[in-house]
Amino acid sequence: MPDYGQITIGGGTLSAAWFLGLAAILFTLGAIGVLVRRNPLIILICIELMLNAVNLTLITFARQLQDLDGQLFALMTMTVAAAEAVAGLAILVDISRLREVEDVDELNELKG
Amino acid sequence: MLAVAVFWIMAVLAVLGGLGVIVSRQPIRSILSLVVVMLALSVLFLLLSAQFVFAVQVIVYAGAVMVLFLFVVALLGPGRERRGGRLRFQWWLGSLVGLVFGGFIYSMLQGARFRPPQHTDLSTFGTVQEIGLGIFTRFLYPFELTSVLLLVAAVGAIYLSRGGRVGEGRGAAADDGRVRGEEEPHA
Repeated sequence: MPDYGQITIGGGTLSAAWFLGLAAILFTLGAIGVLVRRNPLIILICIELMLNAVNLTLITFARQLQDLDGQLFALMTMTVAAAEAVAGLAILVDISRLREVEDVDELNELKG
Repeated sequence: MLAVAVFWIMAVLAVLGGLGVIVSRQPIRSILSLVVVMLALSVLFLLLSAQFVFAVQVIVYAGAVMVLFLFVVALLGPGRERRGGRLRFQWWLGSLVGLVFGGFIYSMLQGARFRPPQHTDLSTFGTVQEIGLGIFTRFLYPFELTSVLLLVAAVGAIYLSRGGRVGEGRGAAADDGRVRGEEEPHA
C-alpha cells in the first residue's frame, strides 16, 4: 500500500504528518496559553495562535488531497479570526475604560 | 532537499515563537512573537503551494490584525501581569492539561493513513485564478456570509468603542422627562 502522505515539492519529499505534528504543537501551545495566562489581551493572542495552527492543517490536507476546498476554507477561517479579533479588542477597550483589567478572573459581574 | 531544510527551519522558528507567545510577561513581546509564528507559517503555506493564502496571511494577518493588537497595547499601556493570584497552581495545572491534550493529538497522529489524492493539475493549484473560481462558484454563499459577518463586526466595534454615549444620552433625557413629570403635581 503506497504512502499517500508524501508530498513532493521541487526536489524534496515532505511528509504531511510533519506539518500536522507542527500544527498540533502550535495548537497545544495556544491552548496552554489560554489556560495559563491571565491578561485578556494575551488570551486573545493565544486564540489567534490556535486558529493559525488549524489553518496549517487545512492547507496541509488541501495539498495532500490535491483539493482546493481546504485553502478556501482557510480563507474563511482568516475572515472569522479577523472579526473575532475586532470584536474581542473592542470589548476589551470598552471594559478598560471603566477600570484597569489585569486579570480575567476579575471580570465576573456581567455588567461591565 | 532544500524544501526539507526550509520546513525544519520554519518549524523550529514557529515553535520558538509559540513558546514566546505564552512565556513572555509583556503583551508587546507576545504580539511580536505571534508575528514571527505567522511569518514562519506563511512560508510553510508557500511550501504547500498555497500562494494566495500566503499573500493573505502576510497582508491581513501579520499586517492588519497584528497592527490592531499593537494599537490596543498602545492604547491600554503595557499591562504587566501580577504574580500569583487566586489560582495558585494555574501554571502547573494548565500546562498539565495542555500537555495531556497534546499527547492525545500526538497519539492520534501515530499510524494515521492518508486518503489517496485526487489528480488535479498541480501547476495551477492554489493560484489566484483557481481560488477565485472556487470562491465565486462553490463557496459563493459562505463568501457572502463572511462579508456580512465582517460588516456586523465593524458596526459592533464602532458601537462598543463609542463608549455607550448614545445610550447614556438617551437615558439621561428620559430621566429628565420622568423627573419633571413627577414634580409637576407638587408645583
